[in-house]
Amino acid sequence: MVAVEEPIRRAYLVKLVGEEGLRIVESMPSDEVTDEHMAEVTGISLNTVRRTLYLLYEHRLAIYRRKRDPDSGWLTYLWMLCPENFDKALEAEVRRLIRKLDARLIYEKDNVFYACTCGCARFVFEEASEANFLCPYCQEPLEYMENRKIVETIERQMRDLSAAFS
Amino acid sequence: MTEDALEYIKSHPEGVLQSDLWKALGIDSRKCSRIVARLLKDRQITREIVSADGIRTYRLTGIRQESDPGRFSPLLAEGCFEPCAGCIDECVPEHCAKLSEWVFAIVFRGSGQSEAV
Repeated sequence: MVAVEEPIRRAYLVKLVGEEGLRIVESMPSDEVTDEHMAEVTGISLNTVRRTLYLLYEHRLAIYRRKRDPDSGWLTYLWMLCPENFDKALEAEVRRLIRKLDARLIYEKDNVFYACTCGCARFVFEEASEANFLCPYCQEPLEYMENRKIVETIERQMRDLSAAFS
Repeated sequence: MTEDALEYIKSHPEGVLQSDLWKALGIDSRKCSRIVARLLKDRQITREIVSADGIRTYRLTGIRQESDPGRFSPLLAEGCFEPCAGCIDECVPEHCAKLSEWVFAIVFRGSGQSEAV
């Protein structure tokens, strides 16, 4: 069995494959296993097991090997987890998130925002101006929205994420 | 190819000359420069200017990553794992509602629910 105890790794798996997927991962032996066997052991549908395994494969957290039955010619997929790739997968997520936060930071810095007083949505100045500073959803007035804290939070988060590589 | 380059660089702890890297990978120097730029941006390697046989080039060295999973804790904020992991929506970070929600959760944590962002 592959126990995933570290909270970040557990949260990552839940995000990728859901609670059922995590249950499948935690029921997997450390050597090769078929998807049919995992469906049988966990009682989770074969479709879900296959979906989970392919998602793990896409993130390099699992590998498979095809074996052809010499009599029937049928292919059997033998799956194995790669827990040693967790760090690499998480590093890839960190890098991707930094890139996206960077794009968002530029947008936050380059725009002035107005928000609906009822909390419907937030608009950039041009949108708010076109709507005569009235919310297009509820017709309540739009008010200037300070986004300094959002900018500071994104900057801090990017710094903290970058520290994973220092 | 980026991963091949990174693997090659990391397999040489003393560093690799950029002028050797593209030859080893069988690619042209322009493509190699783009790969190196990407690896530098992603903080996977460092580089320093060196002179080899009178020609200016770069020595590329892989950055050793720590194995402590705690270094990834900024991915988890307010009990929510960052929203981009496993996301298959069309990616527009400027307008992504999931990304906004995640960022706002961190902002509220720092300032209290009652304070406006």
